[in-house]
Amino acid sequence: MEIVEQLLDISGIGRNRMQLRWVSSAEGPLFADYITQFSDQTKELGPFDLKKFMLPLAAVERTLMSSRIRWLIGITRELTDFENVYHEKLEEEDYKRLLQQATEEEYHKAMIVEVLREGPLSVKEMAEKIRLPVYTISLRLNELERHGQAGLSGYDGGTPKFIGLAA
Amino acid sequence: MSKQFKPKILTFLCNWCAYAAADSAGVSRLQYPPTTRVIRTMCSARVDPVFVVKGLKSGFDSVFVGG
Repeated sequence: MEIVEQLLDISGIGRNRMQLRWVSSAEGPLFADYITQFSDQTKELGPFDLKKFMLPLAAVERTLMSSRIRWLIGITRELTDFENVYHEKLEEEDYKRLLQQATEEEYHKAMIVEVLREGPLSVKEMAEKIRLPVYTISLRLNELERHGQAGLSGYDGGTPKFIGLAA
Repeated sequence: MSKQFKPKILTFLCNWCAYAAADSAGVSRLQYPPTTRVIRTMCSARVDPVFVVKGLKSGFDSVFVGG
């Protein structure tokens, strides 16, 4: 769930749209408190603008479904508490950093895939739409190409245009 | 923002913990906002991160997970 919070933050939706709380079955009053607080908090945030966040939200979903993130989350305990088959063990801090970085990369890739759904774009156009440096876009685009999720569709003058190949 | 705005909140509650807590809150007539929609899960670990996104996508204003 930490990863959802991180994703909600980098997508601009904001982590305070979600809350995770532990309530035991004997703690009715506590539950009522939590819900009241959370409801007030949401009230302050105002209604969720679905239209505005359609694109980031789709990218967040795509990120959470990506096999890299799923794998990383799945082996959390194996990596931090025990060790993997190569006798590698990570400190929790290192693991967190690794996951954060992977999440960011996957999110950017997901964003690229999402904007490419509307049609072929050049790297510069993508960078403008996603508001990321051209360099970052080309790195992520390169990874997408290697995994067969994006490809060259043609040239507009001298500028290469790319399309998404992902399902 | 108008004062009329009532946030629609999606809540996932664990059958054994938070759902029972919500139940007992109801039985003891504690006031809590009526605009929450509850989905009972058999365990809060059943809630996949994607559910949160799907909740927001379906028009909820925020998502609460209680375990």
